Amino acid sequence: MNPELIDQLGSQLGVNGLPYVVPIHPNLVHMTLGLFIVAIGFDIVGTFFVLEKPLFRFLAIPAARSNFFDVGWYNMVAAAIVTFFTVGAGFYEILLATPDQNVKSAWGLRAMDTMIWHGVGGVLLLTLIVGMTVWRGFQRFIWRKEMSRQVQWSYLAAGLFIFGIMFAHGTLGAQLASEFGVHITADRLLQTGKSLYNLQENL
Amino acid sequence: MLEYLPPLNDHNLPYPDTIHPIVVHFVIAMVLFAVVCDAIGYFTRNTRLYEVSWWNLFFATISIFIAIIFGQVEAGLAEPYAGVASTLNLHTLIGWSLSGIITAITGWRYVLRVRDPKKLPLSFLGAGVLLTGIVLFQVYLGDLLVWVYGLHTVPVVEALREASLK
Repeated sequence: MNPELIDQLGSQLGVNGLPYVVPIHPNLVHMTLGLFIVAIGFDIVGTFFVLEKPLFRFLAIPAARSNFFDVGWYNMVAAAIVTFFTVGAGFYEILLATPDQNVKSAWGLRAMDTMIWHGVGGVLLLTLIVGMTVWRGFQRFIWRKEMSRQVQWSYLAAGLFIFGIMFAHGTLGAQLASEFGVHITADRLLQTGKSLYNLQENL
Repeated sequence: MLEYLPPLNDHNLPYPDTIHPIVVHFVIAMVLFAVVCDAIGYFTRNTRLYEVSWWNLFFATISIFIAIIFGQVEAGLAEPYAGVASTLNLHTLIGWSLSGIITAITGWRYVLRVRDPKKLPLSFLGAGVLLTGIVLFQVYLGDLLVWVYGLHTVPVVEALREASLK
């Protein structure tokens, strides 16, 4: 975003370009990714239960197949809910971003390309996660209600495919922070020609 | 010996990006969601959520040790400048403590679950609330290391390398 436009918010913003000390979006990302990946992971565990059964018996951990599918379902629902907030916070913070304009990322992209791809990717992922949740619901409550394997192979494959998108998308987000220095107090001090030793007084 | 390791990049890492913040997804999200599931399960008497909580805790327990391994590697390469060391030390101390705390709570849960998977004492919910507090504080410290001090970010690594050459 244009720095002069951001200046309209004036003194509300700190050195990191935000009205608070650490960004919110990356924290919600922990929830989105953790919940989604573990949801698919436990559906995979449930699907291959026959193979793991001896291991759980060996460890003396009682395990029922249907419980793994419960984890797959509830974690996916939670991922879908929390991701609205992840994307919302992400757009707020990207509006206030003033990345280093002269940097090219490890993927050869400049700041604006990286921000646009990360923004579009966020909406795409939200759509996919909500879609997966609805698909999972149909399998759980209608199509496969009476089946011992609650998920379709195609659902698991779609999940693994989305892992791939998440990896690329997450790397773009990480580059916005660790290469372009978006919303990082120390990086923004350096960008304005100040020393890291001024950091304490700028907190 | 050192020449067998990959050279450090502009993040001061032997691999492209930090891994610790990725692994901690599975500790933060799983612990917090386990506590939420226990609370909802307790008040709605939906005991199925107790199983969801248990398996999330189980996964968090495995994950935290992997998170600590990468955390130690990346802390060792972080070159904490000026005031960063105290925050990094506290984050390290609480991180190791959390490995014990989460393992103990998961162990406690294992015993409770073997005895009766449909029953959960209020004291366990209390432990969950306490654990949530510690985890959130630990996340905040980690946030400071990345988002305030910029450890392993290119501009900071570059500035520190230039400073050490002077």
